[in-house]
Amino acid sequence: MARRTVESREALQRLRVAAAALSRPVHFMEVCGTHTVNAFRCGLHSLMPPNVTLLSGPGCPVCVTAQGEIDLFIELAFRPGVTLCTYGDMIRVTGSSGSLETARSRGADVRVVYSPMDALALAASEPQRQVVFAAVGFETTTPATAIVVQEARRLKLDNFSALASHKRIIPAMRALLDGGQVNVDGFLCPGHVSVVIGSDAYRPIVEQYGLSCVVAGFEDVQIAAALARLTELARDGVARLENQYPQAVTPEGNRRAAAAIDEVFEPCDARWRGLGMLPHSGLAIRTKYERFDARRRFELAEPDRPEPPACRCGEVITGRCTPAECALFAKVCTPVNAIGPCMVSSEGTCQAWFKYRRADLKGRASLPASRVG
Amino acid sequence: MCLAVPAKIVECEGDQAVADLHGNRVRINTLLVPEAKVGDWVLIHAGFAIQYLDCKSAEETFAVLEDLEAAVAAEGSDGTPNR
Repeated sequence: MARRTVESREALQRLRVAAAALSRPVHFMEVCGTHTVNAFRCGLHSLMPPNVTLLSGPGCPVCVTAQGEIDLFIELAFRPGVTLCTYGDMIRVTGSSGSLETARSRGADVRVVYSPMDALALAASEPQRQVVFAAVGFETTTPATAIVVQEARRLKLDNFSALASHKRIIPAMRALLDGGQVNVDGFLCPGHVSVVIGSDAYRPIVEQYGLSCVVAGFEDVQIAAALARLTELARDGVARLENQYPQAVTPEGNRRAAAAIDEVFEPCDARWRGLGMLPHSGLAIRTKYERFDARRRFELAEPDRPEPPACRCGEVITGRCTPAECALFAKVCTPVNAIGPCMVSSEGTCQAWFKYRRADLKGRASLPASRVG
Repeated sequence: MCLAVPAKIVECEGDQAVADLHGNRVRINTLLVPEAKVGDWVLIHAGFAIQYLDCKSAEETFAVLEDLEAAVAAEGSDGTPNR
């Protein structure tokens, strides 16, 4: 038998043993889109004991982006002379009217890049265009943006700028807990964000909120093992910080990456879908690099736009409702015709439910009211 | 989105490198892992190496992928799931 299968069985067995000794049901939350989709893809939810639930939190960067910010990307794409480069994840997300994809079909110059370096190279090769790299993403993605902004300054590439809407995960975790609307017993912490910020970054969550944080990799075995560990800690009534992904994550993180972020960006208040304005949860380009800040260059102000009517993405990404509880889900909102970002994004909770749990949803009324996770 | 993948560096010059990503060769930037050299394994994300990996853990990751491929192949050959 494949070693992976053996390890998965062992992890699930540990999870079941620990769950059997729990005095009450527990809810853990992951805050990473890749964890969301991999847990669904490997069928983990269906293998879990009924008293352990894994909720999806605000971990998909596309999904947490506020409507006004998406509108800003689209608005900028239509400016004359602008070439807007972005990651493929953003292209189909709908703003108040249309998406970057529909903007492109209406003549805007929108290009998908794999790396922000590609946007920089484009700026160098097309000096007559204003090339804007528009990005969302958590700390895994932010250092790449920081480095291209530094490179643009070094190369004096004045036709390059960044429209950066990067976010920080720890302030979002705090906001969720401070809001008191979500009841979680521990966090499954994101492996690759932690590569940059280090596992010690979660220590305040453990110490101030008394919740366990377990850093996990992305293989099904790794997710199952981390869940087993969280359940064991809950059974024992202790809150601990543990790193179950030591192959890539160190306590202090990648200091160079953190320094690159700090060189270019400073924390700022940022608006999140479902969470509203959160203090110090976003990153603004520092004055030193203002020439390469698209917000300043194009004098952009982020409009406060309402989310689509009846769309419950904001509640879905904060663990307050499941996609099945949204009236639009799988009826008018599908991956092909998505209303909210959680259905557009390949890492969105709604798309994961649509792909992997729709069979469970026949006879929706019989689903428990919440916590289907 | 925040998914990084392990790859092995096959060419390296200054802060630019070429990595072998399961058979694909990709150009990467190594500013965030300045000590990386040819033969090293790194985690790459959006064209940047963001972390060193020790050879053993990277090879374990690929062993897992190979297990998976073997399982898929076995499933395909006789039509029954391999468990």
